[in-house]
Amino acid sequence: MSRAGSMQAGLRGWFRRHAYSLFSSIGALVRAPVASGMTVGVLAIALCLPLGLYTALANLNAMNTDLERLESISVFLDTDLDATGARRLASSLATSPDVLTVDPISPDAGMRELAGATGLDDLELGEVPLPWVLEVTPAREGDVGGLAGRLRALDGIDQVIVDLGWLRRLEALLGVFARLVELVAVLFGLAVLFVIANTIRAEIQSRHEEIEVMALVGATPAWIRRPFLYAGFWMGLLGGLGAWLLVQAGLWMLAGPVRELGASYGTPASLQAPPAALIVGLVVGSGVLGIAGAAVAVSRQIHRINP
Amino acid sequence: MIVFEHVAKRYAGGVQALSDVNFRLEPGEMAFLTGHSGAGKSTLLRLIALLERPSRGQVLFEGRNVGRLSRRQIPALRRRVGVIFQDHKLLTDRTVFDNVALPLHIAGLSFAEIKRRVGAALDQVGLREKSGMQVPVLSGGEQQRVGIARAIVAKPPLLLADEPTGNLDPALSEELMRLFCTLNELGTTVLIATHDLYLVRQLGRRTLVLDHGRMVDDTVPGAPRTMGPEVLR
Repeated sequence: MSRAGSMQAGLRGWFRRHAYSLFSSIGALVRAPVASGMTVGVLAIALCLPLGLYTALANLNAMNTDLERLESISVFLDTDLDATGARRLASSLATSPDVLTVDPISPDAGMRELAGATGLDDLELGEVPLPWVLEVTPAREGDVGGLAGRLRALDGIDQVIVDLGWLRRLEALLGVFARLVELVAVLFGLAVLFVIANTIRAEIQSRHEEIEVMALVGATPAWIRRPFLYAGFWMGLLGGLGAWLLVQAGLWMLAGPVRELGASYGTPASLQAPPAALIVGLVVGSGVLGIAGAAVAVSRQIHRINP
Repeated sequence: MIVFEHVAKRYAGGVQALSDVNFRLEPGEMAFLTGHSGAGKSTLLRLIALLERPSRGQVLFEGRNVGRLSRRQIPALRRRVGVIFQDHKLLTDRTVFDNVALPLHIAGLSFAEIKRRVGAALDQVGLREKSGMQVPVLSGGEQQRVGIARAIVAKPPLLLADEPTGNLDPALSEELMRLFCTLNELGTTVLIATHDLYLVRQLGRRTLVLDHGRMVDDTVPGAPRTMGPEVLR
């Protein structure tokens, strides 16, 4: 046989051995469907906790941004400013980059609103002089406090009212929650690593006879390890996929209530699914964790048989 | 084929399994290894397949010092030694075919070749029609024969058997021994550890006797049927 021919034969052998390992690893999972199912279930639940928390946090942050957008600044103009002056000021403010919209409210409209809100009629309110008011909606990414400060410094503006109190409190609360989620996500991530390594270790220990038999008939450690590495990969992969499905199911179940919550604020609200890159990372990452866990567990077994 | 020179094996905990064992097994020979239980028969076989390393002396297989082989070299050695265990050491969740095919999968043979060779090996042990069965449904004797088929399927030059007739009735035991004789006649070197002295005497082959870890006898009773060289001792 020529040199190239023998190399080709060697390559064919290599492929055959890998194909055998691949199929025998799938065979082992399928032969014990309950045990494999439970292992994958444990991994899926363990993995879905950090992913779910991450998704919850991402959605709360998005919701916070949405709420900030709802927030508007009430700019009370000097009472001597007439409609023309008010509209001119409004259009000049609207060109500012940190302002999304400016909605001028005439004294008459303000009076009607006030009457509606207080239940008093025009007569009772009498001749209270109402100024023009500009309802300024800040741009999405803008600094509301800074904008308010700049508005106060402008000519023709009497008062700027920003009710940021509740928004700040919500933001602070979210900040605490975000830190908490990060902490818990790191802990759960570590737990996942241990769960995978330990699950596969237990799996391998339950198959130590098989490892022994393979070593006895002349299998190399690499050959023995391979199906377990594949199995670890499959379990990690399926666990990651399961976690994703669980989170997706959670999102689906929460979609209705969230829509109702959004409706109560007068804004369409929906939950965002975790980004595709994160899901791919999670699924592949858990597969790799599975391989790592399996590698550790198998090498311990092999050392016992090859003195 | 096999040379033992002043071999001793002491297990952790102080049990002296073998002390100063010397013998030589030529290629194509067939011998029995007998002795009371605990005499060191299994240990002697385990030293050849490198399931244990000797504490002292050297074990040569095909001229190479087995005890000095590195871990990486162990698989190559085991592929040249077919071992038959008393407890079969079969994969109980696989079919007969898959068990016998294992050494060939390890060698990376094509499926067509594996199918052919497994079929031939199962023919030799008379189990061809049970090829697709799961191991646990087979009788003890059938399981033992699956173990033999697995040991011979890759055609190793040396066959070691540890109490292959341990749990079998006399008729089955004799049948198995005949199978080993046939394999030996086809050129395989065979070493069988057994305490079935009746069968050993009946077959009239070379017999090594261990007693408390020492080789106390090495005889060829009756007329030796082997054409191999005379016993060296």
